[in-house]
Amino acid sequence: MKIDVTHLAKLARLTIDEEERPRFAAEMQGIVEMVEKLPPIEGKLTADPANRMTLRPDRVEPSMRREALLENAPQSEAGCIVVPRVVE
Amino acid sequence: MARNYETIIGLEVHCELKTDSKIYCSCKNEFGAEVNSKCCPICTGMPGTLPTLNEKVVEYAVKMGLALGCTINLVSKQDRKNYFYPDLPKAYQISQFDIPLCEHGHLDVMLDDEGTQKRIGVTRIHIEEDAGKLIHDESFSGTLVDFNRCGVPLIEIVSEPDMRSSAEAHAYLETLRSVLLYLGISDGKMQEGSIRCDVNVSVRPEGQTAFGTRCEMKNVNSFSGAVRAIEYESKRQIEVLEAGGVIEQETRRWDDMAGKSFPLRSKEDAHDYRYFPEPDLGTIVLTEEYVEGLRASLPELPNARTLRYMREEGLPRFDANLLTENPDKGDLFEACRALGAPAKAAANWILGDVSRILNERYLTLADCKLTAGKLTEMITAIDKGEISNTAGKTIIEDVMFSDHTVSEVIDREGLRQISDSGALETLVDGVIAANEKSVADYKGGKTNALGYLVGQCMKASKGKGNPALLREILQKRLDG
Amino acid sequence: MRLYEMTACEMAEKLASKEIGAVELCEDIFARIDETEEAVASFITLDREGAMAAAHAADARRMAGETLHPLAGVPVGIKDNICTDGLRTTCASRMLENFVPPYDATAVSRLKKAGAVIPGKLNMDEFAMGSSCETSYFKKSRNPHDLSRVPGGSSGGSATAVASGQLPLSLGSDTGGSVRLPASYCGIVGLKPTYGAVSRYGLVAFASSLDQIGQFGRTVDDVALLFDAVCGPDRLDATSRSFDKPGRDIEGSVKGMTIGVPAEYFAAGIQPEVEAALRQAIAGLEAEGASVRPISLPSTEYGIAAYYVISSAEASSNLARFDGVRYGYRAKEYANLVDMYERSRSEGFGAEVKRRIMLGTFVLSSGYYDAYYGRAKLMQQRMTAEFKEAFESCDLIVTPTSPTTAFKLGEKIDDPVTMYLNDVCTVCVNIAGLPALSIPCGRDQNGMPVGMQLIGPKFSEKRLFEAAKCHERRMGGALPIPAICGKEGK
Ligand SMILES: [Mg+2]
Ligand SMILES: [Zn+2]
Repeated sequence: MKIDVTHLAKLARLTIDEEERPRFAAEMQGIVEMVEKLPPIEGKLTADPANRMTLRPDRVEPSMRREALLENAPQSEAGCIVVPRVVE
Repeated sequence: MARNYETIIGLEVHCELKTDSKIYCSCKNEFGAEVNSKCCPICTGMPGTLPTLNEKVVEYAVKMGLALGCTINLVSKQDRKNYFYPDLPKAYQISQFDIPLCEHGHLDVMLDDEGTQKRIGVTRIHIEEDAGKLIHDESFSGTLVDFNRCGVPLIEIVSEPDMRSSAEAHAYLETLRSVLLYLGISDGKMQEGSIRCDVNVSVRPEGQTAFGTRCEMKNVNSFSGAVRAIEYESKRQIEVLEAGGVIEQETRRWDDMAGKSFPLRSKEDAHDYRYFPEPDLGTIVLTEEYVEGLRASLPELPNARTLRYMREEGLPRFDANLLTENPDKGDLFEACRALGAPAKAAANWILGDVSRILNERYLTLADCKLTAGKLTEMITAIDKGEISNTAGKTIIEDVMFSDHTVSEVIDREGLRQISDSGALETLVDGVIAANEKSVADYKGGKTNALGYLVGQCMKASKGKGNPALLREILQKRLDG
Repeated sequence: MRLYEMTACEMAEKLASKEIGAVELCEDIFARIDETEEAVASFITLDREGAMAAAHAADARRMAGETLHPLAGVPVGIKDNICTDGLRTTCASRMLENFVPPYDATAVSRLKKAGAVIPGKLNMDEFAMGSSCETSYFKKSRNPHDLSRVPGGSSGGSATAVASGQLPLSLGSDTGGSVRLPASYCGIVGLKPTYGAVSRYGLVAFASSLDQIGQFGRTVDDVALLFDAVCGPDRLDATSRSFDKPGRDIEGSVKGMTIGVPAEYFAAGIQPEVEAALRQAIAGLEAEGASVRPISLPSTEYGIAAYYVISSAEASSNLARFDGVRYGYRAKEYANLVDMYERSRSEGFGAEVKRRIMLGTFVLSSGYYDAYYGRAKLMQQRMTAEFKEAFESCDLIVTPTSPTTAFKLGEKIDDPVTMYLNDVCTVCVNIAGLPALSIPCGRDQNGMPVGMQLIGPKFSEKRLFEAAKCHERRMGGALPIPAICGKEGK
């Protein structure tokens, strides 16, 4: 299995430096080889009814102070979080 | 054009559900609140927070599934759809991938006034969370993010590629919207983005059985926009094929202002969403009794109501269809009937002046003060000849937005018709005396002179004379 | 004797009887931290002010005659991936260096409600990814028994703090062994509860379907006390469950219990002293009235592979939210939105985290899902079934916690696959969602502690406590707190 580090990094929104790439690819290769030792197993993954969850009643509770959101934000303005201009 | 083409349309419709709280947290589900005021650590995706599923969302989705004749999956799950975008705080949307709540349904739509029906297949209905809103404003250096809409519950209704024209797509969307309104699960307000759709379009030469390559158009925000987008895209694809080109599978963005679609991304750089089961939530397990209970609670749906109005009320299909497209109108109609208003008159008033007045003001029946009592009282007064039809128009404008009763408005405006023959005879005599030429014309065989004289009588009565009575008296005088 | 040397239960008793005060205890705890922190490096953030305020509050309420929870006034440290309202929570990552949550994890709010004192946040492998506590962005914690050795990970700081007497109790998190492994390496007791026993709300997710908040103490009773305070269903965690809580009355009896010993856990690669210590402990339990039988868990060898697929897949999704938008690290310079994402994430995450995100992205990506993620999930079902079958013929399973004792700092950090093998004995428990406990079981020739792992069926924590306490009594109680000498150790 050949790992396409560049493609995966793009999907994961990571940049792997040019000089780091071979080492990264080799390490990933090692892990993937370990994983490939998993035997083939017959079966189908499906939703497990035994793992049933309790649903939440539709009740409103107070939201948080807006400041609690903005205090951790790297950049904010006019009550909003700011990101680099998105061209749509 | 060398060949004839068929357009194939499939729609993915997202509807916001009007629950009290959001789908995975207890923040208020509210449109138009101050930016970032309806948020909590959960819906803004703060580290360590977890979702919990709102039971009402499941209930509403199942109701929609039942209304569209779907199979309800008693065991279903939720999955993560992974992608990065600033309006998506967790960088994944919790949705449903391979086991949606509802599958294999259909919606019958009426295509014309003759009552041609077509059944459009519904592939699936699943629940998911809405994303936040990006604000692009010239006065800021970047894009602003408002997370209030994050976690607003959505159902996504995916149709089969069963539609063959923009008109069919329009009828499907209108019918879908009325079903949502009848179920009371969505407010159906397009202008607030409560219903949004993605449109899939492909074309194929007539006679070909295989589908052509499809393009998906995003950002379609109104039903009329969907019609325009379909027509544009179908024309574009035919032109490409006619010029000997091939259609690339791609996602396009519809720009309604420009009336054009633009490529957004091709198949090659399409997203790899890396769906996998949402590990923070358990399985959604429903019982047969729960589903049957919801089925029993379903109201009469628009199609059934239309047929009933035609069959039992004798309304033409066109009127019946218009009356039932929105539950408010049908409900008002039925309440008027219960109070004794004739069907035809009630339908005419609701679909005519009342709808016109509301449309002019961008309002719905819920926004005005018209009651079945007021409308029936007015219709009865016209029927009895107490007021003219024209007076009715004055009255309706008033009582729709005031607490006045119909009789108060009649009295205040002096709209009661003069039906007293004595008074009318004096009036007619005056008009005959003043219009010798017209009287002579009439007697000389120009029968249309009578209309003129009736008009003069109405004028003399300042519009309050009963026109039928005036005509009768005039004729008697002139012929006698 | 100094106050810090007491067990949590002794502290609770003396606080309740007003023999000591919470403020006095808290002061001694901070004195101990000051003496040892440079050597062991347990903490990322200390909160003297908050801790003293909580201690004063506990004393005031006791003085007013209120009957308080036994933990009122007892110091409990929190792993730095468990959110604390108003107190920085970093996950030992540059990414969250300045993140201050506006909410408490449910486990923390339960501790606060009980009146526990929280002296600070404990070091760990970055985002809990690691087995040695060496991937922390801030510091490397050191094993109190030998400062040149790792404490194990990822909850290394939680273990070193308890083992060195800085704290009587701490919370950690265990996704593949992250509580049990450091408990074993540091010679203390660590519990990984049944999946769903403790709310995960506020625990920064690594692998949601495997993560569980665990408890550290020097004795079984201490761990039972802490577990009792934080476990139970939570409406904020849809995966939490209600169950019969084991309570705090642990008799320490294994009479009539059948103990299964799986051959696969005593295979090649096990350090001979570890095997010898385990065999002796098992014989001890037999002498206490348990019957011992060999069992087989044939899919054990696939545990690590299945674990890395499932945990990395979930991690790649869970850690996607760290994108520099709403909180955490944002790169200083960027050309556009995508560049901002890529730079922030690449500069904010360390190498191990990136490796797992990449692996997780790979196993979920289009075309590979069935071969990797799908296969690992099917393996999970098979392994769960094997445990279930095993528990039809035994009440508990005993294994080593790790095939080896603590290794030297830097020894394995450059070889991920070798590093991952440290978790060979612990990961299967997370895959099957079972409870397991690690308890000291002798030492190797260097004096490093050996750990014994007890595994039970779902929600059998009571049974684990009983057997562990029986073993602890036979061992003569908890390991003594080691003398911490010098910065580099012996
Ligand atoms: Mg969708
Ligand atoms: Zn919220």
